[in-house]
Amino acid sequence: MELSTAIAESFRLLFSLDAKLWNIIGVSMKVSLTALLIATPPAVVLGFALATVPFRGRRACVIVLQSFLSFPTVVVGLVLYVLLARSGPFGQWGLLYTQEAMIAGQAMIAFPVLAAFTLAAVQGADRIVRETALSLGASRLRASLTTLFEVRFAVMAGVFNGFGRVISEVGCAMMVGGNIAGLTRSIPTAISLETAKGEFAQGIALGIVLIVLALGVNALLNYFQGEGGMK
Amino acid sequence: MNALVLVGALKKTFGERRLLDVSELALDAGKIYALTGDNGSGKSTLLKILAGLEPADELRMRFNGADIDGASYPDALRREIIYVHQHPYLFHSSITANIEYGLALRGIEQPRRHDLASAAIKWAGLGAVSHVQPKRLSGGERQKVALARAKVLTPRLLLVDEPTANLDRAARGQIVALLKQTASDNSCVVVACHDREIIDLPAVVRLHLEDGRLS
Repeated sequence: MELSTAIAESFRLLFSLDAKLWNIIGVSMKVSLTALLIATPPAVVLGFALATVPFRGRRACVIVLQSFLSFPTVVVGLVLYVLLARSGPFGQWGLLYTQEAMIAGQAMIAFPVLAAFTLAAVQGADRIVRETALSLGASRLRASLTTLFEVRFAVMAGVFNGFGRVISEVGCAMMVGGNIAGLTRSIPTAISLETAKGEFAQGIALGIVLIVLALGVNALLNYFQGEGGMK
Repeated sequence: MNALVLVGALKKTFGERRLLDVSELALDAGKIYALTGDNGSGKSTLLKILAGLEPADELRMRFNGADIDGASYPDALRREIIYVHQHPYLFHSSITANIEYGLALRGIEQPRRHDLASAAIKWAGLGAVSHVQPKRLSGGERQKVALARAKVLTPRLLLVDEPTANLDRAARGQIVALLKQTASDNSCVVVACHDREIIDLPAVVRLHLEDGRLS
């Protein structure tokens, strides 16, 4: 198929609301948003604690957390595969090749991104924020919560960044999801499969969706950074 | 007159350098004090120690007749002593919410909180900008919000750090006017400054910090 024909066909698929295509988009959105929903609260708590609670080994924890940022998603998939495989410790749960497994994998991928963004945001918050809250009569806990609230836009930026990372990852989704049509086929795994089959139209259509999502996420990121006084 | 604040000893060292070595300081209610000294002389640090925002190496202090343990600054005292930064931080919310922050911490409920914030906005002459986002305010307006946010809490001791630095003449005049109205019969104000408009005000007591000592 020529490129121009493939592009024309991809737009036809998108705008004709092709059921197969939109099912893939739906799976991707459901898995990624659920993963974020699960990962965000504990990641924010961890990032905040690392930024505010001094303890022995804190520096080592920060280094480990930051190292996880560049952890290959396919390795996360491998670890999860070993855990969820029939012979693995959680094999009896039967989660391999399900959306739940994909959600677990994406939550693991998003977690360090969210925690690291929260850590950086709280550490980067000027000392004056905490001092202002304390001086106006806040307890230490309340002053800490006020600081977290003040950096909420930076934390939101972390959430969008995490979304960008999980919606486009292919390694983990492929390994623990299995790319099953209608069930665990997500945008990046579908692009990978369709391209291998030489079916470029659907791959291009899904690529367009990913690009539009990336633009949307970055627009939101930009807006929130502006709101937070970062720009 | 009984001093509102009586400091018997206040010492602070940074590395090898002894920044503060104050052996006596008495602050009376109803007065405005101008704390002067060169840049880096320790004015801000002194104010922050009094406000419990910075630990001292040694602090012997009485507040309103009660001994204060310098090692563990009581949270309750922070409700009596408020420190206003040179470049005040305003929370990412409305001016009203900024002013209501401390009131909410003190358990004052709406609509009383709103009434007090409205009165403070009027007092500070912020009526015209009351709906502007804090991040869009000028330096002088930010300083006024910070003063209103502090004054509404009726602190016994208000510590203000260089409130007129980097402000134009008109804004300086407005801030000085607000400061004059802030000291009352049972509260006092300490202003760290280089500004002659404040130092030369009638009834202002000058405290000069040099080599860590007050004169």
